[in-house]
Amino acid sequence: MLPRAEIAHWLFAAGFLFFGLVLLAEAIVGPDVFRRRRWRAYLWPSLALTAGIWLWVIAIFSTFSTLHLFAHALWAQAATAAGAVQLAVVRGRLVSAYWSLVTAGALFVSGAAFLVHEQNGWLFNRSAFLHHLLGWTLVASMLFPLGAALLPRRAIWAFGFAVTWIAVAAMLFADRDIAPIFGHLSDLAGGGPR
Amino acid sequence: MRRALLAGTLVALLLPAGAAAHATLSEASPQEQSRLETPPTEIRLRYDQSVTATPDSIVVLAADGRRVSGVVTQQAGGTVVRAPLRGLVKGEAYTVRWHEISADGHVGNGVYTFGVGVPAPSPTEAVGASGVTWRDDVARWALFVSLSLLIGVVGVRLLILPGVVDPRVERRVHLLGTLGAVAAVNAGIVGFVIRCANALQVSGVDLLYSDLSPFAESTRFGIAFLLTTLGYGACMTILVVAWALDRPALRWPAFLLALVLASGYSLSSHQATEPNASLLGEVADWVHLVTAMLWVGGVLTLAIVVWPLAPALRRAAFLRFSRIAILLVGVLVVAGTVVAIQRLPALSDLWQTSYGRTLLVKIGLALVALSWGGMHHLVVRPRLERGDAVRGVGGTLLAETTVAMVVLLAAAVLVNGAPPPVVTPARAAVPVAAP
Repeated sequence: MLPRAEIAHWLFAAGFLFFGLVLLAEAIVGPDVFRRRRWRAYLWPSLALTAGIWLWVIAIFSTFSTLHLFAHALWAQAATAAGAVQLAVVRGRLVSAYWSLVTAGALFVSGAAFLVHEQNGWLFNRSAFLHHLLGWTLVASMLFPLGAALLPRRAIWAFGFAVTWIAVAAMLFADRDIAPIFGHLSDLAGGGPR
Repeated sequence: MRRALLAGTLVALLLPAGAAAHATLSEASPQEQSRLETPPTEIRLRYDQSVTATPDSIVVLAADGRRVSGVVTQQAGGTVVRAPLRGLVKGEAYTVRWHEISADGHVGNGVYTFGVGVPAPSPTEAVGASGVTWRDDVARWALFVSLSLLIGVVGVRLLILPGVVDPRVERRVHLLGTLGAVAAVNAGIVGFVIRCANALQVSGVDLLYSDLSPFAESTRFGIAFLLTTLGYGACMTILVVAWALDRPALRWPAFLLALVLASGYSLSSHQATEPNASLLGEVADWVHLVTAMLWVGGVLTLAIVVWPLAPALRRAAFLRFSRIAILLVGVLVVAGTVVAIQRLPALSDLWQTSYGRTLLVKIGLALVALSWGGMHHLVVRPRLERGDAVRGVGGTLLAETTVAMVVLLAAAVLVNGAPPPVVTPARAAVPVAAP
């Protein structure tokens, strides 16, 4: 009944890669050009809300550990909150730049959940390494929406946010359960690379 | 400065933490919740990583608490833990309690059952499992309160306040409905974990590393938990989209989905699991729950949405809800009576069993709330119909809401309680063994 972790990770990686490329395209050409076709403005919130739904699906497959159940439920709610607020911003219901603090909070919570739910050390195996890297990447990336809230005119925040998701996608694509990292595999990790 | 930052970041990234691991059970023989035809002679548990085994890493218990597993040994580089089994007989069910110490020092654990010649009992009935505690009651109460927001407030907005209303009312309905969905999904998760913890007999950090899959996949309440978690997650998304796009009509699918999901509790409660379970009982339980949520949510909406925010809407909202409340209370009482008769076939069960006494307390509290509602119906409604100014209604609505919340607490205690055993013809025919 339980799908392999990589399947879920790679599906999300594909989604995040698309998400990152959309954001990067917007950062390169600027929002005014990018949103000449109105539907493009809805891509970011729609993808975040869709990710939220899929994370609920993953959450109910994660009952093999209470911690994983909690972590996936938290990610689902973080994605939904960020997507909803962004949708309201695009729609014009919310106008203050400070609403991007919600995205910053969602990234921090998501990153913290990664770090807490991965109990292995950095070099235990590839999966553990990537969980640490993903966690710290998400925590650090909260600086971009934070910057967008405080200094909204700088394009660097949009670039940073877009690149974050491309990096996250690359990390998720690289994820395998017990494959070694840097040629090292802890004796505690059981079987070898697959 | 830049170089120092870069160097610091690299050091932070590369600092190796101690090799640590948290293993999960990937395979078990006998399988979780399986029925075997012949007694097994060995139990084998395979983990996805090597673990440290202790003498109690596998404990297999017979129904009378007798330990039937022997000395624990490890194989396959520590990823397989096994123990011989002795004295198992056909016709009995057994409980497996497993623990492993992962490399990070955390104790992963789980519990499951299997039967030899008989079906495996639910893991909640594992040997050593405790019954429900006050924590289960609080979690269930939180769930009921959440549903009164999700089903009640959203339902009342759709059913008795259709059309465009004051923007402040709309915002608060959005807020309460979404809060209800968020709270329902989280209360459901917490309630599920607490229920598993009662059987696992662990708490704190150990609970975080517990395997909940036997509960989620092989019990009615587990399957209901999975479906409601997914469903309330969808409700949450629909409601925030309705808010963000300013499309109140989108609340309809969320409301209808929540109504359907509420049946999950009836299909996994005593109405579905007791020997005299019937479709009528399950439907009555669902109707009882839904009408209660609509009634409580309606009073709540009047008390904390309409009254403080929309004076111009008070009269119309009160009169519309007053009309629908009579119907709701009528259906609520009939459905509740059907459920009570099924659970307590003998009238004396009402005062002779703890379940019956809890039901009496709940009925008493419900009567207080209904009397309050009756006062509103008989005293306030006629005055509002005449167009008279009525003062202090906001306060009395808040008081009625408070009593309704206490009724929900009593209901939570009741549904978590064990009804008296029902004697069915099949059970009555079983000869009683001599002492």
